[in-house]
Parts: sequence; C-alpha cells; structure tokens
Amino acid sequence: MEKYEKLEKVGEGTYGKVYKAKDKATGQLVALKKTRLEMDEEGIPPTALREVSLLQMLSQSLYVVRLLCVEHVDSSLKSNNPSPDSASAFATSNNGKSNLYLVFEYLDTDLKKFIDSHRKGPNPRPLPPTLIQSFLYQLCKGVAHCHSHGVLHRDLKPQNLLLDKDKGILKIADLGLGRAFTVPLKSYTHEIVTLWYRAPEVLLGSTHYSTAVDMWSVGCIFAEMVRRQALFPGDSEFQQLLHIFRMLGTPTEKQWPGVSTLRDWHVYPQWEPQNLPRAVPSLSPEGVDLLSLMLKYNPADRISAKAAMEHPYFDSLDKSQY
Amino acid sequence: MEFDLENPFTSFEEHQSDTLLDLFAIESDHMPSHNFIQYLKITDFYVSLRQEAVSLALQIQFSCNFEPFISYLAVTYLGRFISRQEIPQRKPWVLRLLAVSCISLAAKMKNTHFPLSKFQGDQELIFDAQTIHRMELLILDALNWRMRSITPFSFLCFFISLFEPKDPPLTQALKDRATDIVFRAHSEIKLLEFKPSVIAASAVLLSSHELFPLQFPSFKTSILSSDYVNKEDLPKCFDTMQEMVETDGCESILITLSSSRTQFSVVDYKCTKSESQQITNSSITTTTMMPERREIKRRKMNGFLQ
Repeated sequence: MEKYEKLEKVGEGTYGKVYKAKDKATGQLVALKKTRLEMDEEGIPPTALREVSLLQMLSQSLYVVRLLCVEHVDSSLKSNNPSPDSASAFATSNNGKSNLYLVFEYLDTDLKKFIDSHRKGPNPRPLPPTLIQSFLYQLCKGVAHCHSHGVLHRDLKPQNLLLDKDKGILKIADLGLGRAFTVPLKSYTHEIVTLWYRAPEVLLGSTHYSTAVDMWSVGCIFAEMVRRQALFPGDSEFQQLLHIFRMLGTPTEKQWPGVSTLRDWHVYPQWEPQNLPRAVPSLSPEGVDLLSLMLKYNPADRISAKAAMEHPYFDSLDKSQY
Repeated sequence: MEFDLENPFTSFEEHQSDTLLDLFAIESDHMPSHNFIQYLKITDFYVSLRQEAVSLALQIQFSCNFEPFISYLAVTYLGRFISRQEIPQRKPWVLRLLAVSCISLAAKMKNTHFPLSKFQGDQELIFDAQTIHRMELLILDALNWRMRSITPFSFLCFFISLFEPKDPPLTQALKDRATDIVFRAHSEIKLLEFKPSVIAASAVLLSSHELFPLQFPSFKTSILSSDYVNKEDLPKCFDTMQEMVETDGCESILITLSSSRTQFSVVDYKCTKSESQQITNSSITTTTMMPERREIKRRKMNGFLQ
C-alpha cells in the first residue's frame, strides 16, 4: 500500500471505508475501498476469492467503476510483498487480521451530489430531460451488464452512481460483494443504510429475490432525477413500506400473488393508488410509462434492464454513442 | 456462486449470448504473457518447469480425487504465474509450493474442500497451511485476482451450437470428445500460444473430424465464417492438435465415453492399448464408433486444409 498516498476519507461504502488517494508513481487519483478480510484456517475465504474475481471481470464495462487492482495487506506482517524465494516470509505467522484494498478509478462526483446541486445552491434548476434520459440509459446498461453476469447490486442509490461530468458518463459503484458480504442494515459506523431505494419484496422479508430488486431501485432513482427529491423517503422499514403503499396503493393478492404470505407482511391501511404522473410532473408520458413498469409490485412483472433499454422512452436517444 | 469453467461469468441462462462477445474480447488477459510464450520457444528450462508443475498438479488431483477441472484451473494459474514471476532454479520446493497453492486456489473457486492432510504421507508436498496461504496471496497478487479463468471450455458450447444436425446425442458426443481433447491439450507446450477460443474451435473440429467426418467440411465452413474466431491461427492450431492426438499412441477416443469421462482425465492417456480395448468392449457406444474411427485412421490425414 506504500504505492498510494491517502488524501482524504471520501465516504463509507456499504462494506467499509473509502479513501481518495494518489498513486505515487503515476499521480493517478484512485478510490481505495478498504474491506476487512476474515482469515481463518482456510486462508483467503473462498467466497471473497470468488466475488473479488467476479468484480474484477465485471469492471470491464464502461458503465461499471473500474477495479484497477487489489492489494492485500496483512497487518501482522512488516512487509506485504515478500519475494517468492525468501523462505522466511512464508514462515511468518498470519493471525487473521488482514485487509483487502480494492483500488478503483476515482470520479469526483456522484448522482446524489449532482441532484443536490440542482436543488439547492446558487442556481436551483431541473436536470435537463435529455441528461436524465442519458443517465437512465447508462444506468440500465450497467445494470443489464451486472445481471447478465449473474450479479445483483442490491444497493443501488444515487450515492453509488459516480459521474464523469465532462464526458457525461455514469458508472455504477459499490457492487459485487453482494453475497460474501451480505448487505447490512447498518454500515460499519452504525450509519443507517438508506432504505429509500429498497424493493418492497426485500422490505417484506422475501428471501428469494432476484434482478427485479435492482430495477425497483432504478425506478426510484429515475423519479428522483426528475423530482430532485426522493420518491419514497422512509426512515424505517415499516415507514418505507407505508410511503410506497401510499403512492402506489396497498398491494393486493391479485396484483402480486403471494404478497400476503411474505415473512414481514402485516395488515396495512388500504390505500388506493395515487396518480403517478403527478409525482413526476415534468416527465413525458413515455417516461411515466417506463417508470410505472419499473415500479410494478410483482417482481415477475417488473421490467428488466435489457427490456427497459428498448422502451419507447429512449426512442429519441442516440443509442449508438453508448 | 461456484465458478463454472463453461460459464465463467455465472450468467443467467437468458443472458449467455450477451456475454459471449465479452469472452472473446478479454480472453487474452487470461493467457500466459506473450513474451513468455516467445521465451518458451528458445529455452528448455521453462518447458520442463511447466511440465513438472503440471504433473504435480495432476498428482494432487489424483490423491484428492478431485474433478479434472480443478487441476485444469490450477494449471492455468500456474502457467500465468510462472510467465510473470521469476522462479528460482535452485529451489525446487518453490515449484512444489506453487503447485499445491494453485490447486488450493482452484479448489476454492470450485467450492471444493482441499484436504491438506492428504499429503501427510508425501514428504515432498508437505507445507504448513500458513505457508500455502502466503503463497496463495502472492499468486493472487501476480494474477491481479483474475481467477475466473477464461478457458477453452467457456467456448465449447458456442462452437458446438454451429454444428448441424442439432441432434442432442451427437452434439453431446462431440462435446465429450472435445472436452477430452482440451484436457489433453493443456500439457502440450506447442498449443500454449493459442487463445482459448482457438483451442476450443480446433478441439470441436477435430472431434467432428473423428466422429462425424461427413459433417466436418460444412462444420469447418461455419466455424470459419463466424466473426469471432481467429482464422489464421485456427488451421495452425488444428494441425498441431491433430498431430498431438495422432501421436498419443492410445485410442484416446475411448475417453469420449461420457460415463467414464470424470475418471479418465489427462493422466489416463498413458494407458496401454490393451487396457483401452477392454473398456471399449464393455461399452455399446464405443463399439459402434470404432469402425468409423478405424476408417479415419486408415485415411492419410493431410491436415486442416485438406
């Protein structure tokens, strides 16, 4: 890790701290994501091995933040890079304390900051509709890429979508460690993990969820770009469900077979669906239609990322540039 | 999320065609370095080093009764590691440690328990767990954690899908035979320079040449007309592979039998002809294939462009 100079802590990823750092040799800015690795008698845990190598493969997409390299730091060792011919290095004990640094390309802003800058500050203004369209298309493309590789993100939110403002590129971050490191309700520092983008089946305790959970989040993010504020800003799992039900109506067995048998289903007030276009007043009818397909209650009915890319909402977009 | 060599991206089924292009695009990242391949041609040291490591990996696979994919995967790591990292000539234990550690990593990728205690009787392969785990980290570092190796197995289904007629028993036979050739090809130094997709295409073609010679010409045409495969390398690879199979001195076709495939891995290619013959007679499938095979053998094979 001597290769990098840590500049500042830029955030708490879902799985650990993130630092902005500089590669001392090249001057390149990077994001260092520190993950604690539980080394047991098996050495590197097989799950971590499989998932980091999957992340390595996924980051080949332009719409996924690039994983530049992986550095393992064993805090019980002085040197972290013994040469293979120094027998003494192998004899050193390895008592389980170790960290994995995932070194990612650095981007200086994310969609949350970008939306915030359009809501408050000196010059509040809506996001240009063509930009929303372009960002949403890139997001769907990145999500389709993850899904085609068998990976669910499970924690898509504006903070996890990094932007290259000059090039107008959106990249998905903080993904891939989904299974070895289950998504916690609280992060390392007991900061509450946001629930705003969480799909109803997850909130209701379904254990067999699939790619549709990410498409729900995409829908919430789409609406938020249009509204410049969150669509469902709940502060507990229960409140989160109430926000959703109030807007879309309390789900029925007819709409979503099996909903009332989900683990955390309770009796809820019976709300009628509200008028979705009113929640996103500046969105075109095609946009509203796509949004409603992303926010289908029944995960089986929810639109896939690949199908979303073919939706008429994107007809006016020049797809050849992506 | 076990690693499947035939589907390295763990794609959901409906997406597999989407990831195919990615596979062709990045397969070169999963090969030994280009310089190393050039180097192999001028020095014997690495050739014998690699052969020794391969045989160690097979030995471990055998004592642990692992599926052959584990040692295959381990050998891909091994090959990439020694192409990037100097191995000290006078410390033979390093190579043994490397082989054990690569097997350990491959077993983890395949979600298989690696019983270190199995080697208690084998002095040469005893290393304590911590030593192996340190070595694992060095390997991960050298390979930049790209452990989902793209291998010829990742491409077999694609090339077989170009075969006509699309008759499941035929395509299964083709796949089984091609799988065996790919396993066998791994210890052939002359084939190291070819990309995984080219190895896969050659193995599938060679299988069709052996099993379904009538379909071979049209199959060859459709593989050559596919956009992704390297048309210059394919004939070279095919010829080298055919030479390899021809000089095996063993009716390797027997290993095609899907039922026996898991037991008959590369190690078994040393089997004597009479042993193979016995197995042949015990199987209906093979017996029906034998005349066809002999027919091919009688013909003089003049290579790919024939």
